[in-house]
Amino acid sequence: MKKHWLIGGLAGVFALAGLAFVQGGGAEGEAATAAASGQPIAFPHNQHAGNEPGQNNMDCQFCHFSAERSVDAGIPPVSTCWGCHQIVQGTTAAQQQEIAKIGGYVERGEPIPWVRMYKISDHAHFPHMRHINAGLECQQCHGEVQTMTEITTRTGLARVFIGADPVWGGDNMGWCVECHRQPDPATGEQQASTDCAVCHY
Amino acid sequence: MTDGIKRREFLKVLGVSGAGATMTGCGAGDVERLIPYVVAPEEITPGVATWYATTCGGCSAQCGMWVRTREGRAVKVEGNPDHPVSEGGLCSRGHATLQHLYNPDRFAGPMIREGTRLRQGTWDEAERLLAARIGTLGNVMFVGGHMGPTLSGLVDRFLSGVGGTRVAYDAVSDAPLREATRIAYGVDGLPTYDIGAAKLLLSFGNDFIDSGASPVAHNKGLAHMSAVDAEGHEKGRFVYLGARLSVTGLNADEWIPIRPGSEAAVALGMASAIAGPNATGPYANLLQAYNTESAAAAAGVSEESIRTLAERFVSEGPSLAMGPGVGAHHRNATAANLAVLILNDVAGNVGRTVTIGGGPTASASKFSDMTAAIGAMAAGRVGVAIVHGTNPAYSLPAASGFQAAFDEVPFKVSFASAMDETAAMADLILPDRHFLESWGDSMPKAGVMAIQQPVMQAVPHFDSKQAGDLLLAVSAHLGNDLGAATFYEYLRGAHQAQHTTAMGPFEETWRAALRTGAVSHAMAATTGASVLRAPDAALTFDVPAFDGDGDLTLMVYPSPRFGGGEFSNSPWMQELPDPVSKITWHSWLEMNPTTAEARGLREGDIVTVTSPHGAVDVPVWIYPGIREDAVALAMGGGHTDMGRWATGNGVNALDLLPATAEQPSGAFVTLATTVNVVSTGVRRRLATIDGSEGDQHDRPIAPAVALADLGHEEEEHADEGHGELMELQGFGGIKPVPAEGGAPSAFPLPGTDHGPYAVAHEGPRWAMAIDLDKCTGCSACVTACHAENNVPWVGEQQVIMGRDMNWVRIERYYEHIDATQAGDLDVRFLPMICQHCGNAPCEPVCPVFATYHTPEGVNAQVYNRCVGTRYCANNCPYKVRVFNWYRYTDENVPEPMNWQWNPDVTVRTNGVMEKCSFCMQRIRESENRAALEEGRDVRDGEIVPACQQSCPAEAIVFGNIRDPNSRVSEVVANERTYRVLDELINTQPAVNYLKKVTFHEVSGGHE
Repeated sequence: MKKHWLIGGLAGVFALAGLAFVQGGGAEGEAATAAASGQPIAFPHNQHAGNEPGQNNMDCQFCHFSAERSVDAGIPPVSTCWGCHQIVQGTTAAQQQEIAKIGGYVERGEPIPWVRMYKISDHAHFPHMRHINAGLECQQCHGEVQTMTEITTRTGLARVFIGADPVWGGDNMGWCVECHRQPDPATGEQQASTDCAVCHY
Repeated sequence: MTDGIKRREFLKVLGVSGAGATMTGCGAGDVERLIPYVVAPEEITPGVATWYATTCGGCSAQCGMWVRTREGRAVKVEGNPDHPVSEGGLCSRGHATLQHLYNPDRFAGPMIREGTRLRQGTWDEAERLLAARIGTLGNVMFVGGHMGPTLSGLVDRFLSGVGGTRVAYDAVSDAPLREATRIAYGVDGLPTYDIGAAKLLLSFGNDFIDSGASPVAHNKGLAHMSAVDAEGHEKGRFVYLGARLSVTGLNADEWIPIRPGSEAAVALGMASAIAGPNATGPYANLLQAYNTESAAAAAGVSEESIRTLAERFVSEGPSLAMGPGVGAHHRNATAANLAVLILNDVAGNVGRTVTIGGGPTASASKFSDMTAAIGAMAAGRVGVAIVHGTNPAYSLPAASGFQAAFDEVPFKVSFASAMDETAAMADLILPDRHFLESWGDSMPKAGVMAIQQPVMQAVPHFDSKQAGDLLLAVSAHLGNDLGAATFYEYLRGAHQAQHTTAMGPFEETWRAALRTGAVSHAMAATTGASVLRAPDAALTFDVPAFDGDGDLTLMVYPSPRFGGGEFSNSPWMQELPDPVSKITWHSWLEMNPTTAEARGLREGDIVTVTSPHGAVDVPVWIYPGIREDAVALAMGGGHTDMGRWATGNGVNALDLLPATAEQPSGAFVTLATTVNVVSTGVRRRLATIDGSEGDQHDRPIAPAVALADLGHEEEEHADEGHGELMELQGFGGIKPVPAEGGAPSAFPLPGTDHGPYAVAHEGPRWAMAIDLDKCTGCSACVTACHAENNVPWVGEQQVIMGRDMNWVRIERYYEHIDATQAGDLDVRFLPMICQHCGNAPCEPVCPVFATYHTPEGVNAQVYNRCVGTRYCANNCPYKVRVFNWYRYTDENVPEPMNWQWNPDVTVRTNGVMEKCSFCMQRIRESENRAALEEGRDVRDGEIVPACQQSCPAEAIVFGNIRDPNSRVSEVVANERTYRVLDELINTQPAVNYLKKVTFHEVSGGHE
């Protein structure tokens, strides 16, 4: 086992040498800490998609409109928000304040610059529609979003460094493969391919 | 693993440390944002491509185009198979138009000259300025290149409103052929050539694949004519008569290397032999003045070769002869084209393979009109000169006096969207929109109308305005209402006005035109009279005089990559190996090996080429496909002011030419002068990808089979083996292995170790068939691949170091090429891509399993696993793996050129190996689509890789070779099928080639 430390040390040297290399690599750390306050509008997923009394029980794909026909799930255009919120002004002062921001974006003709929470690396391709059409629930990857006031966990890395509980695997390929390896109830064979080139091309 | 360290654990530790570096390395400012639409456009689904049909504006051929857009950006252009002229397929230049769209050197907005500087202004300011200048200066002259019929009509109306004149000018035009057709048949327009229907095709220096009226359609015709296919199509013969072999000429079965300028004498000699002594008609006297002896004397080839060719021209019909194109426009080019028309006429081809009238509407502008315009400018008779769609300051030699005359004009206006030599002189630049951003129409030939529609919003970095809109606005400022506020309205109105009720409701016709890309109008092609008329112009059919007393004739030809120089600022075109020389970026002088030897010149020696009109310094490239008494130089190099990739690259061949207009057509003469070639004593390395000087070194890379041997090849060659390859065994390296179980569909092979994939399964095995008998080497697939797969360009220095990044390259091998006498020509083209070997040498040497075999038989490259050892490239016998030595995708690609990137393909960075993936993203896209449609399987023919889509010759077929009914299986089940080096090293490739078929016997070794 001693050699592990040797390797670790070596790896540390590599890591230092690699500092400059990864500068432009992403924003994982920043986002994990800034997520709580970083969104331009405090959007409560639970108020929209939750099924508790007083919540609206909306289908995810009402807003994320292309999940079942495209590789991208789709981020709703501002006009989708405004479609309801022209009428629905909110009941509390806090709600009204946040909802009023939508009107501002509409007036200025600006998109809402949401902070990205879920991202798969550029070298992997994730077709949403194949997963939705295979009968997966959004929650299987994204967690119980309908219960969250704010989506706070972001990537698998968050677990290592922040201690946050990840609801999704993020950049952790093992998390993807674990599901792909599950046996198909009908045939008993693994339910999805684990071939590299299925996602990496 | 006794020491307890496993590879995976090592990588895990390394991975975590690497992640730590990521955490500390990040600044707080770069949060990634998700930017939604404000209002989502209905036709766009994020992540799903939207396709539009439009017309290519790259040249005057006006091929049909499909444009793939993602989230509102054009990312790929393809040939439109429904287009009546181009019928699918697209040339390299067509693909490169995308780089004009995202060219970072485009103007940010209208530019107004203030002293020596150009200042960006507003459109309103620019329009008012132009209107004011037209009002005060008057005498407007519009110099325009090729444009669609409606825009052309608008220009005429605009000019009649302001009292201006118009001059048509294109650097490359077919004026001599047009004039010859008018003289011979009284029909104004180019003839239609049915190349595909011919059995014997003669080209008198006509490079119809490289350039000319319709390169894609003609390429398709040639491939169809010369192919042997399963339906028993009889192979047609192609004979090239000319002093230099272009890529068109390299496809010929025979080459008669006639002296430059002797085309008319040869054609008339042949016609005379065919017509016999009792020739009738208006040209009877002319025919009697020529015979095969006089032709042979003029051409410098044997009399027998011309006589035999004349006999076969009738007996092996239907035949077709094509007169000299731009590369052979000498001082008697109209006469030469007329002579070839007469030859077609006496052989009975007119009405059969040649139709008079109804041909392509491609450019036939005259240089003589331009000379008159230059005279008017110099004399101060032009107040405002407007230049649109052409760059005469570059494409005319200094001797024409254009620059000096243009400088005299008080107010000069350019519609150039990016800087070029003419715009650099202008007082006002009104950047036009790219054809993918604007409305227009085209009439590629009579009876076919195609609409050019914008496929995206104008690229926001550039404040551009479509020329039609600008002319309408300026006209309104001047008080002339042309009846429409926008060019779109004008265009639609013009089409509505032409619409007849017999064609159904207008709205439906219009929508159909937008959807399919073209409509064939009821106004059918008017085929004119096909009876020869007496000439109404004095013509000389003899070899013309050439300027100077040099001992070498200079041939200047339009580049298959740059055209007349319009495409020089596209890095794809700069880095595309020239189809003939395989040289990238810089210029070269083609010289016969004998000529070079006599002068003590080696390849790469920089020589000074001097004509009476100028001199250039250029490196020599030794080429057996050019006569000993000629040298050749391509157009398109030596730009002085055309953006970052063009400026300063190579030399401008026009510097050596006089400003001569051919009589009577008025065409610019490209074959005009002799030159002296003197070594400068300096030598350079050519930026070429050609490693073996066209020699296969006795390896069966691109074998061929004689037509006579087809059908019983097996018994003849059964015991032949590859004797000369046995020598390699002495070194212990390469041993021929029995290719047992080597059927193309066999994967995995018995005994090979593919881990969990070694089990038999029912899935597809993707495979490809490439018919070398059809491939013309045009290199359209190379650019298509670059566009589809985000393959970067690397620059001249990197190419010199052998670091070119092509996923597909066209290998060119000379088997038989003789510039001294008429005879068989055998040059082989082979598109080399990753062979997706079933027994791949690259796979076992990868220490990190970055390259491996998928269950579907594809040799995959996992970029994120690759650590860049380059062992795989070292072990690849096909040299198809290319390595990212630097951050080519960051550093070389300025905004907004990166908008062109295909979002479905990973953009690679430095340290990563890459290669052909069989367009894995297209396979996945088809699978995804099939799965969404009730879980069906992918249909045969549904997956079309970029190279196949683009191939004008239809030489490439892709599909599942396990399915015996798939097209690829059918094509592969052919006696011509072979796999490169497979017999030697048992690689079991998934790419199957079909041998080229030759008329002559194929000599042993390179079979």
